[in-house]
Amino acid sequence: MKRIYLDHAATTPTDPEVVDAMIPYFHDRFGNPSSLHSFGREGKVAVETARRKVAAFLGAEPEEVVFTSGGTESNNMALRGVARALRDRGHHVVASSVEHHAVIEPCRDLAEEGCEITWLPVDAHGLVDPADVARAVTNRTILVSVMHGNNEIGTIQPIAEISRLVHGKGVYLHTDAVQTFGHVPFTVDEIGVDLLSLSAHKLYGPKGVGALYVRKGTRIAPLLRGGGQEGGRRASTENVPAIVGLGKAVDLAREKLAGEVAELTHLRDRFMEGLRQRVDGIRINGHPVHRLPGNVSVSFDGVEAEPLLLTLDLMGIACSGGSACSSTAVEASHVLTAIGLEPGMARGTLRFSLGRATTREDIDRVLEVLPPVVKRLRSAARKGHEERKP
Amino acid sequence: MRTGKVAVAMSGGVDSAVAALLLKEQGHEGVGITMCLGVAAEEGGHTKCCGPREIEDARRVCQMLEIPHYVMDFSGDLEEYIVKPFIEEYERGRTPNPCVACNRYIKFGTLLDKVAALGIDFIATGHYAKIEGTGGRSILARSREARKDQTYFLHAVRRETLGRIRFPLADLMKDEVRQIARKHGLPVSDKQESQDICFIPDEGYGAFLRSRSIDVKPGEFVDKKGNILGRHRGVALYTMGQRARLGGWSGDPLYVLGIDARRNRVIIGEKADLMAPGLSADRVNLLVDNLPRRAIAKIRYAHRGAACRVAFDGDVLRVAFDEPQEAITPGQYVVLYDGGIVLGGGVIRETLK
Repeated sequence: MKRIYLDHAATTPTDPEVVDAMIPYFHDRFGNPSSLHSFGREGKVAVETARRKVAAFLGAEPEEVVFTSGGTESNNMALRGVARALRDRGHHVVASSVEHHAVIEPCRDLAEEGCEITWLPVDAHGLVDPADVARAVTNRTILVSVMHGNNEIGTIQPIAEISRLVHGKGVYLHTDAVQTFGHVPFTVDEIGVDLLSLSAHKLYGPKGVGALYVRKGTRIAPLLRGGGQEGGRRASTENVPAIVGLGKAVDLAREKLAGEVAELTHLRDRFMEGLRQRVDGIRINGHPVHRLPGNVSVSFDGVEAEPLLLTLDLMGIACSGGSACSSTAVEASHVLTAIGLEPGMARGTLRFSLGRATTREDIDRVLEVLPPVVKRLRSAARKGHEERKP
Repeated sequence: MRTGKVAVAMSGGVDSAVAALLLKEQGHEGVGITMCLGVAAEEGGHTKCCGPREIEDARRVCQMLEIPHYVMDFSGDLEEYIVKPFIEEYERGRTPNPCVACNRYIKFGTLLDKVAALGIDFIATGHYAKIEGTGGRSILARSREARKDQTYFLHAVRRETLGRIRFPLADLMKDEVRQIARKHGLPVSDKQESQDICFIPDEGYGAFLRSRSIDVKPGEFVDKKGNILGRHRGVALYTMGQRARLGGWSGDPLYVLGIDARRNRVIIGEKADLMAPGLSADRVNLLVDNLPRRAIAKIRYAHRGAACRVAFDGDVLRVAFDEPQEAITPGQYVVLYDGGIVLGGGVIRETLK
């Protein structure tokens, strides 16, 4: 059975070229970048080369890039680091209501520690209104955090506009760009952010590495203290192979970005159009234009995501739902709730995320198998509902 | 669309793991499913089922067997079909058995519907029970492992679902199941089994009911004539046949004879008063075409079974025992057997004199 992977927003396969670039740093060039000897120097050169690549890609300076263990750590560092560094200045953070949990949870922690959090609403497309951001900022505000591209519904926020409105108000602007880094073209100056989180494994790089862009002059306290790596901003021996992998992933993204945006957008639109034509009772979530090239979020009326996901999985098609049950009850996605989706539709939401290896045949196969599956599950759900009436 | 696929309900324990293994060896295409009931113990607490540890164990077994594994959410169903009725029964002073309802409404109810919707025809579990015959002629029978037989808990499944159920452990003894698990290196071969009701915490019924804002308030112990003998801790904490301990009592041991939830009273008396020659039951689920006139009736899981005459009076089942039985408990199930065959059962309504 040929498997079809449409969950690139969860993670991407590591590009073989990236793996090749990483391999020598496990054995031949294994030195600790902090060591003075030649082994150490090799590691140091590798890390700094990767840093220059990431910085150049972002339109930033190398010293503005702090390597981390990934998007979650970058987000935690941005929020907690700024809150701690600016404790003397204020206790107010503004964030959108559609942030990733890696932003929401640190915000909740800050709230417990006495920081006020303003959660901004979004419209039906998931867009934050920049005017709302400007209104929410007070003289006690230290940080505004609005994600760049939404992982669930794909909407891309007007960060540049938000930046223009809050610029000069003495607040930092952070964006979680885990979904957009290397997937849509931008520089940190174009979107006007002071802090930006990114991750390698959403960009055909390895898991366990990411970075936080910190604009020069931004006050931020470290989360991890120890040996003073990363200019004292993030102690811990550098994950050299992974950092090299991130650098290589950026090289590849630089080459492929323009073509990939066009191609994925085309495939995505073909997919959405096909869904609209072949399945009734659906809603496609997120902004029609300002959206990630590879994201298709679709809600099905009268069917739960869980059996859909499982049926597709048994057919070798991988996508994702809006929620996960590990050990506690399923909660409706906060993002789908924020865009005003009623709970029934929210529970019937699937996210397909396309990527480099996705072909037109893959999309056509899904368009072929999905409609009958939806139909069957809908009739099973209706039947089950009637039978269980006491 | 018949695919021959079998979904195995996997709790993370040894029985369901071996059930999955046996199906695989028989050449079935299996899919492991762990039901998340939303009752995982608090962090650090003792996990009963569907905690992270149980889910992980089930996952590891499926990985070894190279079959897909899914976790499905049933927390809403548990609340609606099991927990709510359970609490209502307790409030009425009855002693419910939620495992029977869970098998009917969830495992062989919503789970069966859900897997059917996935195009999976059969469901298998690690129950000690047996299905004889096929399709519409299927009957439920006792397992070879008499001490572990779980047909008492399974008697209420809808008859039309029997043809879609597989019990791979039907002809195995518990020791053999463990041996098979060890021989195949299943990571759960030496796990202890849990026998408690999954949603009741270690602290017991009282703690559970209080957590659901149910009053568990002390009241009076009375004798059959209504004379007050002492104080009890709350009617929900007593069940028929249980020893009742009275401070300062030096006479013969006293037992709970009945519960008067309305007046918050527990009626107690001598052991002889617990004996009754018959019962009536309603909400009867029949698993055969016709009920014979004589059967063996079990009035609770641990009951050995007693010979009786059975007859319907409208929808109500009347059971007359050859010998009086002890502590026939309203709210519990009576299950009827003919040799190894499960005829059906119902909810005990009252004892008959």
